[in-house]
Amino acid sequence: MATVTEPAGDTATGPSGSKDTGSRGAGGWLRGSTVQALLVVVVLVAGYWAARLMGDPSWAGGFPTAIGDRFMAWLDGIYAWVVENRNDSPLFLYFFNYVSVGLGSAVVLINQFLDFLTWSGVTALGLFVSWRFAGWRVALLVLATFAVFALTGLWNESMTTLSLIVTAVFIALLFGVPLGILAGRSEAFYRGLRPLLDFMQIMPAFAYLLPFVLLFGIGNPAAAVVTAVYALPPVARITALAIREVPKGAIEATTSLGSTPWQILTKVQLPLAKRTILLGVNQTIMLAVSMVVIASVIGAGGLGDAIYQALSKVNVGQAFQAGVAIVMLAIAMDRVTGAVGHGTHVPHIPERYRLPVSAIGLAAIITAAATGRLFGLGGWPRDMAVDIADPVNAVYEWIQSEIGDFTAVLGTWLLNGVLSPLSALLTGSPWWLVVLAAAALGWIFAGGRTALVSAAAFVAIGLLGVWDNAMDTLSQVLVASAVTIALGVVLGVLMSRNDVFAAILRPILDAMQTLPPFVYLIPAVALFTIGRVPALAAAVIFALPPVIRLVNDGIRGVPASTIEAAASQGSTKWQLLTKVELPMARGSLLLAVNQGIILVLSMVVMGALVGAGSLGFDVVFGLSQNMLGLGLASGLAIVCLGLFLDRVTQGRRAHRA
Amino acid sequence: MPRLLRRDTLLRLAAVGLALVMVSSCAVRTDQIARDPNTVRVAVNGWVGYEASAVVLEHILKEEMGYQVQLVRLEEQPSWQALDQGVLDVILENWGHEDLYELYGPEGNDTVVDGGSTGNDGVIGWYMPAYVAEEYPEITTLEGIKEHAEIFRTAETGDKGEFLGGSPGFATQDQGMINAFDLDIEIVYAGSEASQVTEVRRRYANEEPVLFYFNEPQWLQQELDLVKVDFPDHYDGCDADLEFVDCDYPLYDLNKIFRKGFVEDGGDAYRFLDDWHWTNADQNEVAAMIADEGLDPSEAAEIWVEENPDVWREWLPEGYETR
Repeated sequence: MATVTEPAGDTATGPSGSKDTGSRGAGGWLRGSTVQALLVVVVLVAGYWAARLMGDPSWAGGFPTAIGDRFMAWLDGIYAWVVENRNDSPLFLYFFNYVSVGLGSAVVLINQFLDFLTWSGVTALGLFVSWRFAGWRVALLVLATFAVFALTGLWNESMTTLSLIVTAVFIALLFGVPLGILAGRSEAFYRGLRPLLDFMQIMPAFAYLLPFVLLFGIGNPAAAVVTAVYALPPVARITALAIREVPKGAIEATTSLGSTPWQILTKVQLPLAKRTILLGVNQTIMLAVSMVVIASVIGAGGLGDAIYQALSKVNVGQAFQAGVAIVMLAIAMDRVTGAVGHGTHVPHIPERYRLPVSAIGLAAIITAAATGRLFGLGGWPRDMAVDIADPVNAVYEWIQSEIGDFTAVLGTWLLNGVLSPLSALLTGSPWWLVVLAAAALGWIFAGGRTALVSAAAFVAIGLLGVWDNAMDTLSQVLVASAVTIALGVVLGVLMSRNDVFAAILRPILDAMQTLPPFVYLIPAVALFTIGRVPALAAAVIFALPPVIRLVNDGIRGVPASTIEAAASQGSTKWQLLTKVELPMARGSLLLAVNQGIILVLSMVVMGALVGAGSLGFDVVFGLSQNMLGLGLASGLAIVCLGLFLDRVTQGRRAHRA
Repeated sequence: MPRLLRRDTLLRLAAVGLALVMVSSCAVRTDQIARDPNTVRVAVNGWVGYEASAVVLEHILKEEMGYQVQLVRLEEQPSWQALDQGVLDVILENWGHEDLYELYGPEGNDTVVDGGSTGNDGVIGWYMPAYVAEEYPEITTLEGIKEHAEIFRTAETGDKGEFLGGSPGFATQDQGMINAFDLDIEIVYAGSEASQVTEVRRRYANEEPVLFYFNEPQWLQQELDLVKVDFPDHYDGCDADLEFVDCDYPLYDLNKIFRKGFVEDGGDAYRFLDDWHWTNADQNEVAAMIADEGLDPSEAAEIWVEENPDVWREWLPEGYETR
């Protein structure tokens, strides 16, 4: 829910694109390309051994780093200049500092307003607004969310996070919706915008913390901008899509009546596209919720900070407690915006009562706030909180002692048997051979253009000067993706088979997707020892939910008549699954693979926090040691890897979208 | 069309006007962000000793002096940047960072001021559990580490000994020491202090060997029995080249760093923080309550403040009651 942003645009355009592959016979095509891909791998391995046997000659090593070093030094120079001139240069005095001070102040003011209302006033406000626009069920959920904020003793932190989200979402919509409208009305603009949005989504959030801190100042200003940038793509994409899908007939009819373009937009296109646009707003809010947690690293405060603080004391229970508050916040915001979008369950109030109802609501809020102030309530008192940290810690320690030894052995095996050899293969092979292999894979799976893009992406990684780290990261991403997809397909198939299992699994998947990854990093270390394996485990947990969902949806989407026909011809259950259901769900499966890999990639930096090293570590290191060059170059390299993996797994339908 | 044109012109005029107003009226500096003059904004770096200092001072500022206090958790380098930008007022416990002082201090941007010692001393070094030192008695010396590097081998490092690095935000010279002393050791960066501590605890429970970057005062020192490796003492300039460092980490006299504007305002809060001075024992007492006994930091601060009025009363500036 919180993290899946790609499919929103992709699935909507998907059906038109998946036609051509279907006609070629799925099985044959797959088998053919699998053999070809295996050939590429064999060539790569042969090249690796050839290079080793020749004693690693200089022409068969990693990418030379000279250009990358110069690039990083140049970025570091920019950094030094900004630090020196932040309060002298007109560029900052008249632009960046305006934004920075404006945003920072906005967050502070909203927070002060919420403080002013006291907890009773905020609760009344939240309840009334959610009841009025989303119905009483959602209002109850909102009440439960406020209760969680209060009972976990995190009321003030929650209000800070809420202010930050409000500010960031406001900016994201302020820029995202107009961009989407322009893109919806002009094909050329859309083409120009798309790569930019792709870039914004693949760039790991950590990697653009540093540049934004540099431009907008540490703390709330940078946090608001970063969150807005991270959350903007879905609303822009979905708005563009919504405007395009407005029936041509409606527009022609109004044009023939002599409407101006402005009138067409405001009177026809926007009203007709409203619901879809609200879906985009929903996605944007979800992304903002997940980003504010990461923004705590640059001093954003709030719930993310609470998690971060608990982790510094290795208190998993406390971190979990704050994690639950975030999950509730995310779910409540999702349901409220979702209900507004669907327009369901909204209380039916006749036109003439609307004003009075609003007035009563306002009066209730004012009364609640006034009472709150009268009794000096402020935030919910910490003394009246229920502590769940201790029981959670007890469970955590029990799990650790029960399966800790087993998982540690599993981890060592994975490291020695799979991760290390693959990493050695990729970093040890001549760089040009790896580039060729990437191009070949691109050509096999997605055609000539992708081959070019893949080769370019790998050369760019080399030019950035981070070749060795990037290859090591790639090996980790490949292994984690393989594990994710294998587990995801198995669980997805089980979920599609059994309604009870599906009903149990669904809320767990919801929670897994909204729970900030910070929370399960420490348990991962406790179970798998420090290094690349716990990072892999965290990435799998993070990427698994959408994969399971997509597989489940795909299989459940197979027409019942087809299955009956196959069953009546005497297929066994296994045949039914492998010969009918999985091939027919191929579109969903491919999307699941694509999503799984992209999400695993987005956890690379998080993985560095538990010892995965490589690109992710350099991003974190750059951020905490103020080394813009290293941090940004590594971040860009992750984008290049993402570009390659995304294009290859999107297959031949990519260019249609 | 004329209507549209007119709107366009109007918009443009408005934009130009707005830009003019912005440029002429005020150039905005980053320290003009909305803030409550009654709020003291304190950077909190990610170790518990620091937090202990922060919560005690927070408690006194709030309860005794009537200030609001905002604790902002940040890495060390970004904290300096925040002071430079005017977003925070004070760093309570600074470990070295001469380079940053050069950049932001009187010689550079002139936005931060050295606030003098906190009274706490800091030690950084290579540590291992006491049971390892018992098994190999000479291992806490340079020669011993050289000889027994192989006992620290793990699956991650293969045929080299493993050294667990700390948080990427900390000042480190470990690679330089490995190079200079020619040790058969590879650094694995834990990536965060939390994961490093988790791993050390896990190995400690299983009595496995582990060698890692650590510091004192640190709350885990109270929980685990750790021994520091003795390298040749630090001398001036031995860490000039971080690729080749033939000495141990220096001893740190921990100091405070203030935002210059905060000092110039000269409020009671500044004078109080300037007077603040306490010992390692004081800090450890609070830190142990937070980390060992699992008390809420603000509770720990309250207990310490109640028990030690004679210590902190001296920090209060004259006439603070009349504020």
